[in-house]
Amino acid sequence: MIWLTWRQHRIEALVVLGALAVGGVFLLITGLNMAHTLQESGLGACLASHPTDYPSACGSLGTLFLQQYGPFIPFAFALLLMPILLGAMVGAPLVAREYEQRTNLLVWMQSITRTRWLTVKLALVLGATALLGAALMVMLMRWYTPFDQFIGKFNEVAFDFSGPVLIASSVMALALGIAAGALTRRTVAAIFLTLALLVGIRILVEFNLRPNYQPQIVVTWPLTDNLNQGNPPITLGREDWQVGSGFLDPQGNRTNGIRCDLPGSNDPFQCAKAEGYRGNYLAYQPADRFWTFQWIETGIYLAISALAIALTFWLVRRRLT
Amino acid sequence: MNDVLETTSLERVALETTRLSKRYGKTWALQDCTLALPAGRVAALVGPNGAGKTTLLHLCAGLLEPTAGSVQVFGRSPREQTTETLPRLSFVAQDHPLYKDFTAADLLTMGRKLNARWDDALARTRLQSLGIPLKRPAGNLSGGQQAQMALVLGLAKRPDLLLLDEPLASLDPLARRDFLRTLLDAVAESGLTTLLSSHIIGDLERVCDYLIILSASHVQLAGDILEITRTHWRLIGPRQEVEAVAKGQMIIEASHTARQTTLLVRTNTPIQEPGAAAPWAVEEASLEDIVLAYLGQQAREQATERERLEVAQ
Repeated sequence: MIWLTWRQHRIEALVVLGALAVGGVFLLITGLNMAHTLQESGLGACLASHPTDYPSACGSLGTLFLQQYGPFIPFAFALLLMPILLGAMVGAPLVAREYEQRTNLLVWMQSITRTRWLTVKLALVLGATALLGAALMVMLMRWYTPFDQFIGKFNEVAFDFSGPVLIASSVMALALGIAAGALTRRTVAAIFLTLALLVGIRILVEFNLRPNYQPQIVVTWPLTDNLNQGNPPITLGREDWQVGSGFLDPQGNRTNGIRCDLPGSNDPFQCAKAEGYRGNYLAYQPADRFWTFQWIETGIYLAISALAIALTFWLVRRRLT
Repeated sequence: MNDVLETTSLERVALETTRLSKRYGKTWALQDCTLALPAGRVAALVGPNGAGKTTLLHLCAGLLEPTAGSVQVFGRSPREQTTETLPRLSFVAQDHPLYKDFTAADLLTMGRKLNARWDDALARTRLQSLGIPLKRPAGNLSGGQQAQMALVLGLAKRPDLLLLDEPLASLDPLARRDFLRTLLDAVAESGLTTLLSSHIIGDLERVCDYLIILSASHVQLAGDILEITRTHWRLIGPRQEVEAVAKGQMIIEASHTARQTTLLVRTNTPIQEPGAAAPWAVEEASLEDIVLAYLGQQAREQATERERLEVAQ
């Protein structure tokens, strides 16, 4: 079974390794450049002596660094697409193609049971995917170190790869692909279903779940006359994750802007006060919750994976064509 | 009707089904199928398209769960005792699916890795004698070669029961002959039991010694082919009412032209002359005649049933 799994997926495995190698070279070259600039520009030394004060300290150096290397960030993050593509291109056809080409009738009539066939196959493919996720995690975390020193990793972009979440989301992408294949038994349909599911889960997690794994800490302060939010009573550290800021409307709800319908009023501050706006707010998740959040999200992804795998076993045992 | 001819001796049974039924949604794909296939036979499973042949084979292979009834392969359930039955069973599905990007050598490796009883020497010898190159991907082999490849994979597993679903359907006459030759060689060497489904009757007569007629999800007839041909006769005589001629013989089919009547009858006793006054020609019915008669009978019963229902409404 190990041989068969390898024989069926060796091309995909080589493509993945190739992509990983190309990505690795890119990260290595840009990473070395960044390390060089960090030292040369004095940003590294500055951050070392002011570990918590960015951007009030080292701000201009940091801006320069970001101007130079910020554009590389999307390229590096493109590597995060690999698990998603893997789910659609390897996961979705894994069972679906067997049904489609009716080779399930060949392989299920060898001397091993259908359950064993699926168990070994899933163990190997999901295991390899977990390894890929781990490799990506190490590579990207290593590469991100310079940025981590002043913008931290508790934010929308770096959270995804700065811990076990990346391994779990990779496994989930593949498990969902496999389950979609077992469900539709058509490769093309399974690919689209996988992508739709992954995008849906992604949006749900990013916008609804992750900011609320634990209750947000909300700081409020009175409106100031220029309405530029003035002086919040706290300063967030680089490892704190700001999840929202804006105004509290007359009902106490959070809002981004002020809607003022008072006739003849040109001064937004007066208008806001007259309308009853209660003040400014800043919502954040403190730095010390980072690992809690990583494990919560890892748990969510692994639970979805487990459900997908259970569904796959149930479907494969029942369905023949 | 559900007629099973008694097997004459106490042969060992390779495959046994008891009131085996399978339903998909509201339609019955197979109903009350009871049969016993003695070991060592090459049995033909014939019937029109949609009669339930594939369903029966899938149930026998343990690929499907019966809705009702049971199936036993050498006394074990292929569905529940999978680990015991799978090594003793080979199944070549319709259109002989193969991993198209695997070479013949890859397919043999797969067989070797997944089957404890695998006979690699047998597989290689067969492929060599068939002229199938080991290095070519299965998808690039001709249809006949792919069928042969699938058969070789099934045989090298050294099964005790070989199930073949429409193995001849997509083959040209030459490939058909070669395929059957490979099959017969294997049967002669190993004494395995074979059940193959087909709607081509002509080819089966040469290789099969047992016949199962399946129609409209029921078994119409099952038994030794010699026995079947010995007990079925064609009577041709002047046109008359069939009841007058029957005299206790079971009439499977009667057809009339303006002047003469042709009957296909089944009898276990020596054939009786229907009437001394009018001489009837009596001849042995061919296997094809018999199969067509049983299938036609089923079609007529269904038509009558429909009429009855329509009248009732």
